[in-house]
Amino acid sequence: MARYLLWRVLQAAVVIFVVTVVVFFLLHQIPGGPARGILGVQATEDQIKAFEHAQGYDQPVPIQYLHYLGRLLQGDLGESFQLNQRVADLIGARLPKTLVLTVLSTLVALLVAIPLGVWQAVRRNRPTDYLLSALTLLIYSTPVFLVGFIFIIVFAINAAWFPVEAPQADTVAGVFADSQALVLPVLTGAGVVLAVFSRYLRSSVVDNLDEDYVRTARAKGASEARIVTRHVLKNSLTSLVAMLGYYLPVLFSGALVTEKLFNYPGMGLLFWNAAQTSDFPILLGVVLIISIATVTGSLLADVAQALIDPRTRRVKA
Amino acid sequence: MLDYHHLSITFGDVEAAKAVSFSVRPGEVVAVVGESGSGKTVTAMSAMGLLPRKAEVTGEIVLGGRNIRQLTNKELRELRGNEIAMVFQEPMTALNPVHTIGWQLVEAITLHQDIADPKQKAVELLTMVGLDRPEQRLKQYPHELSGGMRQRVMIAMAIACDPKVIIADEPTTALDVTVQAEILDLLRELKDRLGTAIVLITHSMGVVADLADRVVVMYRGEVVEQGDVEDVLIRPGHDYTRRLLAAVPRLGSGSRQAEAATEPVLKVRNLVVSFAGQRAVDDISFEIGKGEVLGLVGESGSGKTTAGRCTVGLQKPTHGSVELFGQDIARLSTRGMRPLTARIGMIFQDPASSLDPRMTVAECVAEPLVLHKAKNHKERITELLDAVELGSVTRDRYPHELSGGQRQRVSIARALALDPDLLIADEPTSALDVSVQASILELFLDLQRRLKFSCLFISHDLAVVDMLANRVAVMHKGRIVEQGSRADVFGDPREQYTKRLLAAAPVPDPVEQRERRVSRG
Amino acid sequence: MSGPTARRLKVFRRNKLAVAGITMLGLLVLFCFAGPLVYHTEQVLTSLADSKLEPGVNGHPLGTDDLGYDLLGRLMLGGQTSLVIGLAAGVLATMIGTLWGTIAGYAGGWVDAVMMRIVDAGIAIPALFLLVVAAAIATPSVPMLILVIGLVSWLVPARLMRAESIALRSRAYVESMKVMGGGSVRAIGKHIIPNAIGTVIVNVTFQIADAVLLVAYVSFLGLGIPPPAANWGGMLSEGLTYAHDGAWWLILPPGLLIVMTVCAFNFIGDGLRDAFDVRFEGR
Repeated sequence: MARYLLWRVLQAAVVIFVVTVVVFFLLHQIPGGPARGILGVQATEDQIKAFEHAQGYDQPVPIQYLHYLGRLLQGDLGESFQLNQRVADLIGARLPKTLVLTVLSTLVALLVAIPLGVWQAVRRNRPTDYLLSALTLLIYSTPVFLVGFIFIIVFAINAAWFPVEAPQADTVAGVFADSQALVLPVLTGAGVVLAVFSRYLRSSVVDNLDEDYVRTARAKGASEARIVTRHVLKNSLTSLVAMLGYYLPVLFSGALVTEKLFNYPGMGLLFWNAAQTSDFPILLGVVLIISIATVTGSLLADVAQALIDPRTRRVKA
Repeated sequence: MLDYHHLSITFGDVEAAKAVSFSVRPGEVVAVVGESGSGKTVTAMSAMGLLPRKAEVTGEIVLGGRNIRQLTNKELRELRGNEIAMVFQEPMTALNPVHTIGWQLVEAITLHQDIADPKQKAVELLTMVGLDRPEQRLKQYPHELSGGMRQRVMIAMAIACDPKVIIADEPTTALDVTVQAEILDLLRELKDRLGTAIVLITHSMGVVADLADRVVVMYRGEVVEQGDVEDVLIRPGHDYTRRLLAAVPRLGSGSRQAEAATEPVLKVRNLVVSFAGQRAVDDISFEIGKGEVLGLVGESGSGKTTAGRCTVGLQKPTHGSVELFGQDIARLSTRGMRPLTARIGMIFQDPASSLDPRMTVAECVAEPLVLHKAKNHKERITELLDAVELGSVTRDRYPHELSGGQRQRVSIARALALDPDLLIADEPTSALDVSVQASILELFLDLQRRLKFSCLFISHDLAVVDMLANRVAVMHKGRIVEQGSRADVFGDPREQYTKRLLAAAPVPDPVEQRERRVSRG
Repeated sequence: MSGPTARRLKVFRRNKLAVAGITMLGLLVLFCFAGPLVYHTEQVLTSLADSKLEPGVNGHPLGTDDLGYDLLGRLMLGGQTSLVIGLAAGVLATMIGTLWGTIAGYAGGWVDAVMMRIVDAGIAIPALFLLVVAAAIATPSVPMLILVIGLVSWLVPARLMRAESIALRSRAYVESMKVMGGGSVRAIGKHIIPNAIGTVIVNVTFQIADAVLLVAYVSFLGLGIPPPAANWGGMLSEGLTYAHDGAWWLILPPGLLIVMTVCAFNFIGDGLRDAFDVRFEGR
């Protein structure tokens, strides 16, 4: 187990390293180069030259990368063009709110997807199963913003049960205080992965029901309900845990769209605003943080799975 | 106790069982034998009421006076595990991987019994099936136990509620012969102690001879013969039973002698292969002379397959050398290895994966010819298919249209395409039914005599090796514990392990098997 | 071809959703590519006087958008863009992913470790975020979107193909070919990829579905292809901005067409998966 952990952490470190290389590469693709990126559009040619020299941007690329990495390690993600603030501070203030949205969305999605997937698996290949399969595929095939938009029309404008806008508070506590405004964004975010999770669980339970150990349980005289809840579900949920890590990028992409739609001031909205004004330090800062969050999340999911599943206590490559 | 009465089971157009009738008396072991597709498993499973929904059943199955087919689901559940229990073939997958042994054992107990301390009962059960440190075992997960131990756990679960009948579906097929012998002994002991009747489903006549009181022989869904084990196995009445018994390879039937030493085609020196620090192959040396067949025998995990893979370069040795036709293959570049590859052929165990499913038979056989740019493919393919006794109609068929035996013939044809000097055969017949195995072995023997290729024949089946090999090497835990002429190793083994191996392999003669068992102690 | 193909076709045809998917796709292609041949409209010059006309007014069966373009004609034109981008990007992503994953899986060891960490890193950076950054760096165009979507979407197919490659490389028919002196190129080209073709084909359909969605998302985030070019995603998100005017006809048709297209490909992919009997985590 310790070896597996070590190996998995090392792997995550390598992946984060590769991510920094990609972001560094993108930084060099910015119109005007990184100096322009950091000093902003108003800077003069001379300022740029002086900055490039001072920051070592006239040095060979590998050296520049090392400088970049050095700054990252100190938590320096550069300064925003437009907002005159440190990117790290901007992200730091908004990341928790995005996490609130994604975590709540995931929980809601799981709450619906687990019973749905199990129910479909138990009644597999019958009309209700086909209907639900088509329905979940339909949800999967609908752009998130359209789902959210329909929610707004139906529940916010016509029924007026919930506000149109997400909570605007600055703090996480403030967000929770305005919980009614949180309902629609969370439901929209859940829509992104609900279909994925329920389909995964359905096929996992169906596969498990074909396993030999289920036959053994039947031969012992266990009822079908007991077989599903006590034998199969533990196996299927174990593999679902690792799936959660796998779908983090999808969740974050969903958050980006949801935040824009409901005007929720999280990292996604920060990112979207930055895209409108070509505020590259923010754009690349967010990409970097989101990626690190994804890698860390996948790592935690894998470790959690390894802890739950007695079989993965050995090293797996 | 348990009666099958004119039982027929059909799946769509397929009749899996046709008017099967036999009965099982208390405390008796009835073996249902047959090859794959004989319907033996379906027949036995029907007594559990566990057939797939699409199965159509007629006839009666009576257990303790009740017709199982008339019971409700709830009544069936009360029966299962309580009055009739089951032991399955694959101990690896038959236990739930995410629950402990204790949890699964306690479940088997509490589903039908209301006792104060099921844990204590679980400990007793584990002790009864001969597992040491039962308290600790309860906390372990299936993957932490060996195959034999898992099968013991399965048996413990089966006897948890003192059932009247245990149905054991190929309970020892996935196990090594030494472990098989132990499990068979355990089943015999439990039967005597608890008076449980056992329905033993098996393809192995040796297992039948060892454990059964009576035998039911099935062929294509029908019972062709039934009777006392001695009658059926020693004086078979039906032609099919006779053929089946004749096809079983027997130890002591071999006749090949060790040849005079010649220049070796394959020379393995101090070979070591390590995986993650574990030595799978631990310092072994052997050689194979021109035209000689060396049988490499051992149980699963003995390293025999890994050793075989090293000889053809599929596995890189950690230490030691492999010389093919006088050249050390470790020193050869890929290019330098090419001419040697034209002189070797390989046959694998699994007929299902040995041929590319997207290639026709002709394309499969032609592959070595294409690789080595040989001429006149067409004629050569015809010649080869003739040599392995496959008609020309099979030429354009795809592997999935062939039977297992036919596929293995294609594999042999492909391995022989370039007229190799050395053949590596890794368990080429162990996935086949015994009658198919017999014909493939006969073909192989005939081809080897005619073409005089050298061969490394890897097998767990001592009787098969006895039939084919000039010389034998016995592997155990990565080492070669004994090697010599076939007659010496099998006739007069020096090593304890070889003796144990020879003693453990059951023979299909109940009288002889009883004697062997007694002398084994 | 005998056996396998016929059998797969049968399984596929039995899947009603898959047949529905094929039919839907056929109709959509017909609508987008044959439609403009019989229904001619002005799609370059704007006509602000006709801005946001309701369906049926002035001979516009589905009305007009904010710039006065006929909506029905624009849906056809936009559909061409959406379908072409989706198809090309999906195929590109699958091709890169197939080669990358197959080679990594076949080679194993260090090569595999390095190649797969690159894939892990790529997967860690959410595709939509990368697309937005790319759109901020350069103005989106059809070839650029194809290239960028292709370049951010090959990672999942690479993972799937690696697993497939690892499973297939130890099959006896690949090993026996190696014993007989065959090289890696033949092993991959002649045995591994042909036997993984089911995974590849199923993958393409799912990738296309995802690519069509990605285009819509990029447009929603205001970074799509600028007019007069059109695509359904762009039309839909523009429509959303006029939702408060009650201009439902700007939202419903493009929304429906996107959902239909993505559904069609997903249904087909589902049917193909059953036909080829391949596994896809989470789809």
